[in-house]
Amino acid sequence: MKILTCPVNGPRPVSEFAYGGEVRPMPDGATCTDREWADYVFNRSGVPGVKIEWWYHIASGTWFYAERDTVADRVIRTWLPA
Amino acid sequence: MAAALRSSPLAHALATLHPEWIEVAGMPLASKLRDDRPDRSAKLGICDLSALPRIGLKGPGAADWLSARGVPVPDQPNTWSALEGGGAVARLARTEFLVEDGFSGKAVARLAPDLKPGSPGVYPVPRQDCALALTGELVNELLVQTCNVDFTAQTRDARVVTLTLMVGVSVTVLQQRLAGTDCWRLWCDGTSGPYLWETLTGIAAELGGGAVGFASAFPDAQLQNLQ
Repeated sequence: MKILTCPVNGPRPVSEFAYGGEVRPMPDGATCTDREWADYVFNRSGVPGVKIEWWYHIASGTWFYAERDTVADRVIRTWLPA
Repeated sequence: MAAALRSSPLAHALATLHPEWIEVAGMPLASKLRDDRPDRSAKLGICDLSALPRIGLKGPGAADWLSARGVPVPDQPNTWSALEGGGAVARLARTEFLVEDGFSGKAVARLAPDLKPGSPGVYPVPRQDCALALTGELVNELLVQTCNVDFTAQTRDARVVTLTLMVGVSVTVLQQRLAGTDCWRLWCDGTSGPYLWETLTGIAAELGGGAVGFASAFPDAQLQNLQ
């Protein structure tokens, strides 16, 4: 069983969590080009490596960050957004 | 019993067990079930306590709002404080709380009128929960089969609140002594209640326990303030 550590609720099986996608900076919709906005909305990087992702603890409704090596599927650390 | 305004999420499931109803805070509560056995609660009893009054609130001002009204606020998320009359204040996150009265409490009746939308930094959270109590020596056997958290590592005095999944349902769990009976309390969204009830009572039956009425699970409880 894979274990993920929620910053609030502690170590739990990964079945208690939902993946929320990679954390990516959102361009300013008022000033960016259509191409930049479309890239943000529709495109995702599939390059494997260490990424910072959104994860969600379903039982408590807690959104948090996880730094995860997607090659080894190893979570390096988790923390709450500031 | 006068016509109740509210009904338990488990009302239909309980009706098949031929209960004797009493009214608690405007909701029928199954006091006795037709085939209640005295030993069932001691072994593994599952009792519907959805009728107990409760409120929820969240927001950056929620803790101060409760403190200003004399409610003991737990210091840490995922812990709870006791209320007079057997109730509990559970801190579900940094800024979210569940307040539930015990059998002889009246804190919710006192707090609820003040909890209105528009208070700065305090937001009411509707709590139409399915609320259960699990009693008996085999409760941990049931928890092990339905949940991924090791509850044997928790002591009642630590007053831990656990938010986890039980047979796929989001639940809030804590251990308390209620009206002289050691029990595990469990809350879930009311819409998941019948599924959770059916699953838990099914497993409990295999372990020699099952559904019990309130009077069987809590023979020493006094309900006078809530009726």
